[in-house]
Amino acid sequence: HAIKRKIKETETKQTSLILLTVGAALNVDVLKYDEETLSALLRVPSRGLVKLWSSLTLQGSYKNQTCAFRVLQVSPFLLALTGNSRDLRLD
Amino acid sequence: MLHHVPNSLPVHCVTTATRLAAVTSRPNEDQKRIRKKLNPVKMCADLSRTPRNLLVCERSSFLDEKNRLSFQVEQLRFNYKVSLLLPECGSAPSHLESTLNSFSRFYLVKKLPIYELLDKDFLQNAVYQGSVYGLSFGTRIDEDNCVALMPNGRLVLSLDKDSYEMLGFEGRPSRFNHRTCSRFVVPVDLKERSMAPGSPGYRRLLRALSSHLKLQTDFLISHHPGGGASLKALLSRYDWSERRPEVCSRRLSDLVCPDLRSCDPHSLLEWLGAADADVSCENSSSSFLSTLTCPEPTTTLAAALSASVSGLLLPQDVQRLVEQLRCHLQQEQTASWASVTVHGFADGPVSWGDEEHGVLTGGENFYNLLMFQDHTYRLHLATGPQDGCPP
Repeated sequence: HAIKRKIKETETKQTSLILLTVGAALNVDVLKYDEETLSALLRVPSRGLVKLWSSLTLQGSYKNQTCAFRVLQVSPFLLALTGNSRDLRLD
Repeated sequence: MLHHVPNSLPVHCVTTATRLAAVTSRPNEDQKRIRKKLNPVKMCADLSRTPRNLLVCERSSFLDEKNRLSFQVEQLRFNYKVSLLLPECGSAPSHLESTLNSFSRFYLVKKLPIYELLDKDFLQNAVYQGSVYGLSFGTRIDEDNCVALMPNGRLVLSLDKDSYEMLGFEGRPSRFNHRTCSRFVVPVDLKERSMAPGSPGYRRLLRALSSHLKLQTDFLISHHPGGGASLKALLSRYDWSERRPEVCSRRLSDLVCPDLRSCDPHSLLEWLGAADADVSCENSSSSFLSTLTCPEPTTTLAAALSASVSGLLLPQDVQRLVEQLRCHLQQEQTASWASVTVHGFADGPVSWGDEEHGVLTGGENFYNLLMFQDHTYRLHLATGPQDGCPP
């Protein structure tokens, strides 16, 4: 079953979407990408969650530019990713 | 130990409609599985295993006297966001818009010393009235100390090990500790006689919070307007601000919609999540980014309304919104269904009722209510890895 993820991509220079392939062995869907916040929603089968998460963690550069991925939330429910109270800002 | 099996999640289905007998599949085995789920997840070399989640599915009718919807709505006390999806609707009808805009206001108190929640006047004028909801803000349940004050007078502290030892008040280890006891829960019933102002228990807790562990957090607090509680005295002593829940709405065009009565629960929740997150289900042949599709069979809605309200939301306001949506379905012939999704706070020490809550890979505790014109509904209640079973 699919696991939905939300990632925050922190880049020094690059802002374009990065397509992820984990040895071309997993079907990873990029459901949504927001260029303003550099965040994306990914979908992956349950069996591939650990491999994808590990790959994102170890991904330190892309085309000779440093980057880092921070996983914000993981859930088997896509609906859960639309209501994360950690996004609540009361400045 | 419960495994996440590909293509399925543990599902506990209950039907309470009058035309169908109540069905619980092998309750004793389910209870055993639920007890096993509460044990910590063990490390293993199987990379395909994922933390367990729970999904409870229920079908019933508002006309059924035995339906438990009001109880279930009331049990999720700390609501962060309510989202609704209405078909064949370009803008919010006036009565629904006024309902969304009339969600109770709440207050943000900066750096509130938690011992102030034991103040005698606050107890008398607010806690004992039974309608105050309070939650620490900006604290993460997996890292920081968190506090919840519930309308039934229970104060729950979720503390890390060092803070718990400094506090010196009786509590218990968290149910979700893994190998070592790193988190502790201190539940206190402020309405009990043993915690009445002046009693030994009260004085011990007050001394613990004001001298041993000077716990201080930003705090969200709200009260049900008809409950008779007064927060003025507490607010006047600290930096506070009144906040209105934030309301957002947008119009969706050409929304592809599955058969909502027959769709399986996981596909239904995935479709609702896609609609809420504005994720496309086209799966066009020219794009290789996503293979997400809408479950078959499908219909296309010319227009739909997606609206949300967020803040510290009270169950009473959610109940009122549900009643307004029922009226809307009866009045509008074009609207055959309405969907409401309610998300609980991810970092609250409790989720449903007094059940302990935690965050592992996520802190989801939410429910979705899908209502139909014939007064029937489908209810899905979901929790994350560190939660008990929803009601």
